Amino acid sequence: MADALLNRLREARDAKGWTQAELAARVGVSRKTINTVENRVFTPSATLAIKLAEALDLSVEQLFWIDR
Amino acid sequence: MHDIHDIEEAERMGRARSRIFFVLAMVFFAGQSAYFASSPATRDSHARIGAWLILVILILLLLATGGFLLKGRRVRDLLNDETVRMNRLAAQATGFWVTIIATLVVYVESIFDPVSFNEAVHIIVTLGVGAALISFAVRERRAHRLG
Repeated sequence: MADALLNRLREARDAKGWTQAELAARVGVSRKTINTVENRVFTPSATLAIKLAEALDLSVEQLFWIDR
Repeated sequence: MHDIHDIEEAERMGRARSRIFFVLAMVFFAGQSAYFASSPATRDSHARIGAWLILVILILLLLATGGFLLKGRRVRDLLNDETVRMNRLAAQATGFWVTIIATLVVYVESIFDPVSFNEAVHIIVTLGVGAALISFAVRERRAHRLG
């Protein structure tokens, strides 16, 4: 079975006080993409994961981890 | 960085696209059901074949580009972002498998009941293209519903 990629995107976004649309605007994706990543429906590419981490001033490892 | 207005516009248009594609898929299948239900004598008129061909090309164009070609680049990029591209790839894979299965079914069927070349192409392309379109529309609708 594939390992699940977990994230704390919602918590990190809330800590910044941003809406999904505001984070989407900073990263350059649709609000739907932010929402599906937060809900773990969609696994982001490495590029998007890095962009999200940069926007939220976190490392990728702080934002995403694998559930083993 | 994108403008919040672009994000909201892309959101609105993305939702509209998923609804339009779903309705287009239903209209496409309904039209082809009527086509196959009609008598072979009236079925193969140039007008009907032409209408089907135009619709198929339009759907392929929509599936390949995501539509909204006249919108500005910033909004178009948002309308074709990572999740949309993944959904489109998955929909194309669905279309591929439906095409292969339909081809095999038509091949076996033609052993018992001969099917003309034109009919076979019409059935296979209709099912493959229609399946890809409906698969994309359903995936997009599901992603939007989560919001």
